[in-house]
Amino acid sequence: MFFLNLSMMEFMALFGAASALVVTLYLLNRSRRKQTVATLRFWVSTEQPTVQKHRRKIQQPLSLILQLLSIALLLLAIAQLRLGSREKSGRDHVLILDTSSWTAARTRTGTLLDQGKAAARSFIRALPSSDRVMVVRADGLATPATGLESNRQVLEAAIRESRPGAAALNLEQALAFAAQVEKLHASRAGDIVYVGTGRVLESDGALQATAVNNFRILPIKDVVENCGLRKIGLRRSIADPGLWEVFLSVRNYGTVARNVPIGLQFGGALVGSRRLHLAPGKDEEATFHFRTRAAGWLEVRLLIDDALAEDNRAILELPSQKPLKVDVYSDEPELLRPVLAANALVEADYLSPSKFKTDRDARITILDRFHPPQLPKGGIIWIAPPAQGSPVPVRATVTNVPVVRWRSDHELGTGLRTKQWKLESSEVFAPAAGDISVAEVEGGPVILARPSPSRMVVLGFHPGKSAMRFDLTTPLLFANILRWMDPEAFRRWEVYGGTAGTVTVPLESGVGPENVKVISSNQQNLPFTMHGQSLRFFSGTPGTVRVVTADREQVYSLTLPEVGEAVWQPPASAKRGVPSRVTEASVRDLWPFLALLGGLGLLIEWLLFGRTRFHVAGAERLADGNPLRRAS
Amino acid sequence: MAREPLIDQKFLEKLERLTIYWQKSFPGLVGGHNASRFAGPGQEFLDHRHFHQGDDLRAVNWRAYMRLDKLFLKMFQVEPRIPVRVLLDTSKSMSTGAVTKFEYARKLAAALCYVGLVRLDTICIQPFRETLGDSFQCSGGRHRFVPAVNFLTNLEATGHTSYLQVARQFVSSYPQRGLVVVISDFLDNEDAEKPLQYLAEFGHELLLIHLWAPEDREPPWDGELELIDAETGSHMEMDLDSGARARYTTAFDAYARRLQVMAQRNGGRYVGFPTAMPLEDAIFGSIIRAGGLQ
Repeated sequence: MFFLNLSMMEFMALFGAASALVVTLYLLNRSRRKQTVATLRFWVSTEQPTVQKHRRKIQQPLSLILQLLSIALLLLAIAQLRLGSREKSGRDHVLILDTSSWTAARTRTGTLLDQGKAAARSFIRALPSSDRVMVVRADGLATPATGLESNRQVLEAAIRESRPGAAALNLEQALAFAAQVEKLHASRAGDIVYVGTGRVLESDGALQATAVNNFRILPIKDVVENCGLRKIGLRRSIADPGLWEVFLSVRNYGTVARNVPIGLQFGGALVGSRRLHLAPGKDEEATFHFRTRAAGWLEVRLLIDDALAEDNRAILELPSQKPLKVDVYSDEPELLRPVLAANALVEADYLSPSKFKTDRDARITILDRFHPPQLPKGGIIWIAPPAQGSPVPVRATVTNVPVVRWRSDHELGTGLRTKQWKLESSEVFAPAAGDISVAEVEGGPVILARPSPSRMVVLGFHPGKSAMRFDLTTPLLFANILRWMDPEAFRRWEVYGGTAGTVTVPLESGVGPENVKVISSNQQNLPFTMHGQSLRFFSGTPGTVRVVTADREQVYSLTLPEVGEAVWQPPASAKRGVPSRVTEASVRDLWPFLALLGGLGLLIEWLLFGRTRFHVAGAERLADGNPLRRAS
Repeated sequence: MAREPLIDQKFLEKLERLTIYWQKSFPGLVGGHNASRFAGPGQEFLDHRHFHQGDDLRAVNWRAYMRLDKLFLKMFQVEPRIPVRVLLDTSKSMSTGAVTKFEYARKLAAALCYVGLVRLDTICIQPFRETLGDSFQCSGGRHRFVPAVNFLTNLEATGHTSYLQVARQFVSSYPQRGLVVVISDFLDNEDAEKPLQYLAEFGHELLLIHLWAPEDREPPWDGELELIDAETGSHMEMDLDSGARARYTTAFDAYARRLQVMAQRNGGRYVGFPTAMPLEDAIFGSIIRAGGLQ
């Protein structure tokens, strides 16, 4: 006989405290039998006996004994008193079922996970019925599928419903979790059982040390021949925005070299193919180029049949590249054509001022020394506006003055430092509150930016009408202005295919956490950390994650399974295989009977000594010889 | 489900030979069952007198008119009745006991009502607790007994008693003196003696029928008790023993004795018995011995 939940001392302490409380309450009990009477006047008028504050003696010892006995029985039920010896009682096991992405690999008899499930079921069926088991599904995270459960149907259902995950096995975390469960929740620690192939990432801590007691492994025969995509990266060419550059990384997980054909399809059309020679255990990289400005789906496929099909194919969504439409209203368009043609993203339309319209779909309009009857929609670059119609008051007109100051700390003045510009003639503006002075002469600002209501930049001079058009500053100034006016058009897109789990993203210098957003496919911000110039985030499930910095958007399509490259070797002390079937332990649970007896005792006590019983007895006694019954 | 009759037929037959008895002569009325010498509405012929304008033409002796050519009016012998008023206690204290005093009191009131109706007396059943309730008056024979029983059956015992208030209201409501039969446990938090004395001094003849449950007089309980007043709900904690119970019974008996003395001193009668006594024994024994019935 032993206590499962309480030690003998704990039980005695609890019972002693409860008994003392009951006896004290009994002696202090001031709740009296209530009796309704016709009047109290004769009780008041006669001299009454002294009302005792406390009971001086136990008046109903049988009642007290019954109460104490019932409490003892209930406490024993809570303590889960069992008949038998502790050695014969059930144990609590933690079953770690490997559900990493690698367990989706096919063998002749099904997937590796199917074999793992069969081994797990065999283990459970070999255990005595009093043993409890917790099923933990382990991939990148250790997730308990059940509590410590003795119901075999529940356990088998949890095993049956397990599916391969997308991440590699994090065995170190799973073992630590199992050890913690055994320590904190198990009444009698059993085995920590691992069912799987032991394929982990090279960074897994379990490879270095595995210090787990009562460790048992149910090994699954691993498959070795597999090649798979590890990483895919796409970005537009800097020189040619219509050209996509594709980088692939493919690994041969097997033991023999293989020639792997690779095919790229965009919108169903083949846009590239190559054959890679993969040495065993090595990575190979390949680069492809294809041209498109349209949005669509790029499919990368390894044209082989191997154990794990999930890492042979990846699909990435490519965004479209929309040109930045600019309308130029000028009588001398040739002066501006070189400046705008220098930017590949700009699609300029040159129009005469007499053909000015406001309903065009240009996102930026350049007004060259021309005042339109109505301001166009979108951004406006206004070159030398007429003094009467200038959106910014013209303070003065100056000649032969050098530019003395650039607003280098603003994105409009980024990289502009020249002091060699000498303006032959320029308007000097009187800035309003909120205006940004980009360039100034001694007399005041000559290039002014106004952020609202729509973005507008006003130049007091024509940069193409002097020697300035041969200066590098001029296209740089226009590039800054166009980027400030429509930053979306200049955003750089990079698309990566990778595996779910922890993703490390390299960042450009000068990017702080305040400028970074990591957004999941359901438009929620994911937490991330930054160390130097790299950002790390975790995605436990396959999906698309966008990393947005100032002018750069990196799309991570985390659909490839994360496959471990290393195979973990269990410690020599670990037990292997399913244990031999143990004879049923002769331990019997007594708590239901004890709880029943305790409840029954309280019920009997209430019936015998309760108030209702007294009333019934009193009523019966008074009704004896009732004359009225006879009279009527 | 049919309600059990208050009194069975055999018992009613036994009651037919009884008469409600009072001993007082009330001013203006001829008591007992003697015929009055006063003229008025009645059945028995008394005398003739000359017709005066305004007299009831129905009382004209048309035969004498035909013979004598003069209008004579017939006068009849008035049949006044001493009003018998049964004051029935319907307070909450009447509902205590294994067999409630209230049930017993209703049966007793019904029996007295039947006796009165058989003797063509006018019976007024007047329930009371804090104040007087709606009364029921019946007269004219035993066939009026069923409405009286129905009235008694529909009464309920609730509220608390205030004899002083009841006496005041009774005196103002019933200026005509008569026999007042009070069926009650007389357990008022204030004293019931003075209000009853007030009724007697006003000219009513009192017949006090004091009912008590066995536990009202001799509490059967022992040990620690919390006693609750049925009417007021007030509590009292007690450790009961035989001595305390004996003192209680003595106090109760002293109170009953004071009621008896008060009734007899005012020309009335007192009869007290527990509800454990059969109703038949109470009527044909205690009440007849006390002179309430003959």
